[in-house]
Amino acid sequence: MTAETIIQSLASGLLMGLLYGLIAVGLALIFGLMDVVNFAHGEFLMIAMYATFFLFAFFAIDPLLSAPLVAAALFVFGAIVYLLIVRFAVRAKANAGMVQIFSTFGLAIVMRGLAQFFFTPDYRSVTNSWLGGKTISIGGIYLPEPQLVGALVSIAAFAGLYFFIHRTDFGRALEATREDAGAVALVGIDKNRVFALGWGLGAALVGLAGAIMAIFFYVYPDVGASFALIAYVTVALGGFGSVFGAFAGGIIVGLVEATTALILPPSLKSVGIYAVYLLVVFVRPRGLFGSM
Amino acid sequence: MTITRRNVLLGATAAAALAPIASRAQTSEVVIGVIYPLSGASAQIGVDAQKAFETAADIINKNYDFELPLAKGEGLSGLGGAKVRLVFADHQADPQKGRAEAERLITQDKVCAIVGTYQSAVAVTVSQICERYQIPFISADNSSPSLHRRGLKFYFRAAPHDEMFSTAMFDFFDTMKKKGTKIDTLSLFHEDTIFGTDSGNAQAKLAGERGYKIAADIKYRANSPSLSAEVQQLKAANADVLMPSSYTTDGILLVKTMAELGYKPNAIVAQDAGFSEKALYDAVGDKLEGVISRGSFSLDLAAKRPMVGKINAMFKERSGKDFNDYSSRQFMGLIVMADAINRAKSTDGEKIREALVATDMPGETTIMPWKRVKFDDMGQNNDADPVLLQYIGGKFVTIFPPQAAVAEAVWPMK
Repeated sequence: MTAETIIQSLASGLLMGLLYGLIAVGLALIFGLMDVVNFAHGEFLMIAMYATFFLFAFFAIDPLLSAPLVAAALFVFGAIVYLLIVRFAVRAKANAGMVQIFSTFGLAIVMRGLAQFFFTPDYRSVTNSWLGGKTISIGGIYLPEPQLVGALVSIAAFAGLYFFIHRTDFGRALEATREDAGAVALVGIDKNRVFALGWGLGAALVGLAGAIMAIFFYVYPDVGASFALIAYVTVALGGFGSVFGAFAGGIIVGLVEATTALILPPSLKSVGIYAVYLLVVFVRPRGLFGSM
Repeated sequence: MTITRRNVLLGATAAAALAPIASRAQTSEVVIGVIYPLSGASAQIGVDAQKAFETAADIINKNYDFELPLAKGEGLSGLGGAKVRLVFADHQADPQKGRAEAERLITQDKVCAIVGTYQSAVAVTVSQICERYQIPFISADNSSPSLHRRGLKFYFRAAPHDEMFSTAMFDFFDTMKKKGTKIDTLSLFHEDTIFGTDSGNAQAKLAGERGYKIAADIKYRANSPSLSAEVQQLKAANADVLMPSSYTTDGILLVKTMAELGYKPNAIVAQDAGFSEKALYDAVGDKLEGVISRGSFSLDLAAKRPMVGKINAMFKERSGKDFNDYSSRQFMGLIVMADAINRAKSTDGEKIREALVATDMPGETTIMPWKRVKFDDMGQNNDADPVLLQYIGGKFVTIFPPQAAVAEAVWPMK
């Protein structure tokens, strides 16, 4: 094992980790806001990737340009999912937790089925995009441009999110609602509106991730599954509901995955992630940056 | 409505009166179960497979002038012209779902035979169920060599398995070496289910026997979100030949990641799977000029045997795709099974099994480059000669063995 291999592994892990963070943050945001785990999170990613693919295939819009469009479309989609499904699921009088789980889980299955029906199960790829297949080499270390841009977008998105939550009225309303939804209603803030916008924002972030991912990953109806699993671990590791936790969790997952593959056979690389997660559970069950 | 004793009696009488018609209806139709991943990560394979089986059923059930068993005349002549009806089941690439679906096909849909399954891991459980119910099973496109070595009486495979395929690859390496090409080291890259594991083991064993050095032997987790760590190790090993055994998803990601990390091997010799799928070449074909894959089918054959081109056209009309290594084997799987049922003149499992054992189908009456279809005592057809195909200028040409080759191998790949 040479120094070059180690640096390359860490660099790839870091880039992937920042993307994992961007994929996971929507999940953390929604959970923090209303204690609901969105089991259709991977499918949100899937439709964002399909949207990017179709915009490219039919209108020749490069994924870099369509990313804001896809994020906006996902924002609307997320808000609609809240207004049509989740809003009713959280009202359940008995077994509210179960109803929430199965409503988003059911949504995931329906979305996958519809995607297979309408888009066919073929594997699609965005070919010849501006960044696709391009790579920067610095002293023998290769940094693929799509992942590099993805990492930058991720950092920018987290910075923007930080600013948004702490400096804007809506961000404050979001924070206030997650603190105490009842009190917020008393001062005249429409709880449903805040929740809908929260879902929209969460979906928009995963939409952004999906648009970037479509540059270097293949798209098919089940593509969300493996990334959703990583997103759940990322959120659990970083701390449920913590936006910064998702950022740190993503980086940790990316780095641990890359270093495990250096030491153990690559087929066991996810073992490292779950081992670290178990360790965190022992020491800090609420996750690294989770609040009580 | 309450059910009185009279209703029950009436119903029973009606059922008794209809029973002969029902049993007559059964003989005019032979029901065969087809079990594939129709949803989930490899749904695309299953959906294409459905088209291949429908094409085969169409040729059996209608009259076509092909030198293919059962093409001439309508239906199965041995059963009074009975038509073949296919019942499709979805195993979602999950061995446990495969087990349950096979059982359902047998007990509820009353199929007399089953063909499947793409994933070898699923063929393991499906064939066990078939054995228990004494229903013949044909592995149309499973290639793990361990499948036919389990001593099952109702298991048959007309196509080659991965040891035969891998042997062909090493024969090819030996030939190239004699011509002066430098092939000393190999990198194996295989996924972690039975297909990749068996293929990797077969290749490692052959490399040892024939004196090739394994520079890297990487087993990776199927459907990984990222393969960059794996590709780095391949790059560091920098063997003369990269030998992937990967399904479509991982194949696409492998090729993309290799380009991103600046790894360009001299040659890629793939164990089929993803590397014979159109989706992979649509996605990354520009990076794969000169890739070599093993196969059991090649459209080149249409030049020598015109019916191959005609049947391919029928398939293409349904699926929008040319036959590939998988769809062609699926097609043949049903033909071989239906031919046995026809000769058995019965839908009884044991009689069909006996007919399968007696199968001797000359290669010229198939759409494959095989010598013939004849099963050994473990149910494997050892006369199914594999070929190596090279992807050149957007299509596959046969480069090995010499008797089937239409072009010289391009080495190193571009």
